[in-house]
Amino acid sequence: MAPMEVDRADGRTSNQLRPLSCTRNVLHRAHGSARWSQGDTIVLAAVFGPKAGTKKEENPEKASIEVIWKPKTGLIGKVEKEYEMILKRTLQSVCLLTIHPNTTTSVIVQVVGDDDRPELSLIQLEVQMIIKNNSSIIRAFLALRITHVMGLRTPQLLPCAINASCAALADAGIPLKYLAVAICCGLTGSRSVILDPTKIEEKVFSYSCMLYLLVDYFNCLDRGYAACAKISEFLRRSMESQAPSDLTKTT
Amino acid sequence: MNSMPSDSASMSFVDRVVVPGDHVLDLTGMANQTIKLGAGLRQDGDAISVMKAGKLRISKPNKYWVESSHKRYVPCVEDTVLGIVVDSKFDNFLVDIKAPMLGLLPVLAFEGGTRRNIPKFEIGTLLYVRVVKANNTMNPELSCMDETGKAAEFGPLKDGYMFETSTGLARMLLSSPPCPILESLGKSLSYEIAIGLNGRVWVNAASPSTVILVSNAIMNSEFLSAAQQKIMVEKLMKRLQ
Repeated sequence: MAPMEVDRADGRTSNQLRPLSCTRNVLHRAHGSARWSQGDTIVLAAVFGPKAGTKKEENPEKASIEVIWKPKTGLIGKVEKEYEMILKRTLQSVCLLTIHPNTTTSVIVQVVGDDDRPELSLIQLEVQMIIKNNSSIIRAFLALRITHVMGLRTPQLLPCAINASCAALADAGIPLKYLAVAICCGLTGSRSVILDPTKIEEKVFSYSCMLYLLVDYFNCLDRGYAACAKISEFLRRSMESQAPSDLTKTT
Repeated sequence: MNSMPSDSASMSFVDRVVVPGDHVLDLTGMANQTIKLGAGLRQDGDAISVMKAGKLRISKPNKYWVESSHKRYVPCVEDTVLGIVVDSKFDNFLVDIKAPMLGLLPVLAFEGGTRRNIPKFEIGTLLYVRVVKANNTMNPELSCMDETGKAAEFGPLKDGYMFETSTGLARMLLSSPPCPILESLGKSLSYEIAIGLNGRVWVNAASPSTVILVSNAIMNSEFLSAAQQKIMVEKLMKRLQ
């Protein structure tokens, strides 16, 4: 059951990621900010806080995180609320919430660039958020699996947003347990895994094709881990640059 | 006994940029030693792990901390900061010091302060204060006196101009020997300056153009080396003449 090499529209191999670019401290008023781009998908994250006070339903013994997602075009709807909820849960598991109790940190995510090309082929999608400890050993603390991605129009935005918010949180000095890094994996109809799919390669699938084998899922996870190692190396390199709004690029 | 055998692991991280999640020190080999952790580090079971991105520094024999520069401030005891009055209550002034919580300045924390001569600060007054108590769970407590009870330059700052910078630049300006930018500006201009460790700087001079020049020079000097700072100040002085 060797995976077959797939010909992708932009000439990448199935394991190749799009060019990554990360700029920190882009916004002057925000306490922390980062702009993360993977190919044409660009996300800008701004962090404000910690500020005193929490909302009524939040636990005052811990810091609370508030996420606001702003799409590139259009009004805020259910899709954006879903992104906000997923991002909030991810960031809550990454931040050390007991250091500053009874405070609120706001993370605002603005989608700047989105692959705007028409959808062509039919594939089923699996988005994985892999939180890893920044040592040489990759440990997945939380593999958040989102099936039924029919509601999410462009699933590769979420990993980009997670990477951007994590870089912005580190820029703002919010205490973190570790840096989170995310990657999007796609499963083609011929059951081979491709990493970092663009919008051309994704499309909503019908319910009948939602079945996939467990071995494919683990295959996805393995490829995802390897790619996350590369992304986390890149994130570490971008943290090491001292000057403000220093641009680090890689392919 | 003081030299730690597992130093080889920590030495590889010292003076290098560390990222949240890095385990910088393994404690398994150090049963009877005390280690003092400063900003940005925490104990995670059997290892010391990093909370904030920055450079790991060590002060022999056993003090570790992460040096980083941010726009917000984490209050520490005995820091001198610039605060802005936000509100006044019966026994406290609420002062914003760019920290996660508002600082509390007791109305009696002034030299010779009694209930009869409580100072009247308007909202927006800039104060030079000292942090007395700092705890993550409580509002930090401030004071306008030093330990002996003297005023010692604390209190409201009148006139002048206040601007905000990062905490890293404020620390650099407060370093001793004096920072090259302040020294070279002081050779040709006369100005008054108050620097808060929370990233606020107040500058006062006889003429507004001097104030603007000094403020802009300081804001631009954050990432310059000592030589570059001197060159920048020389160029500015030439342009003035």
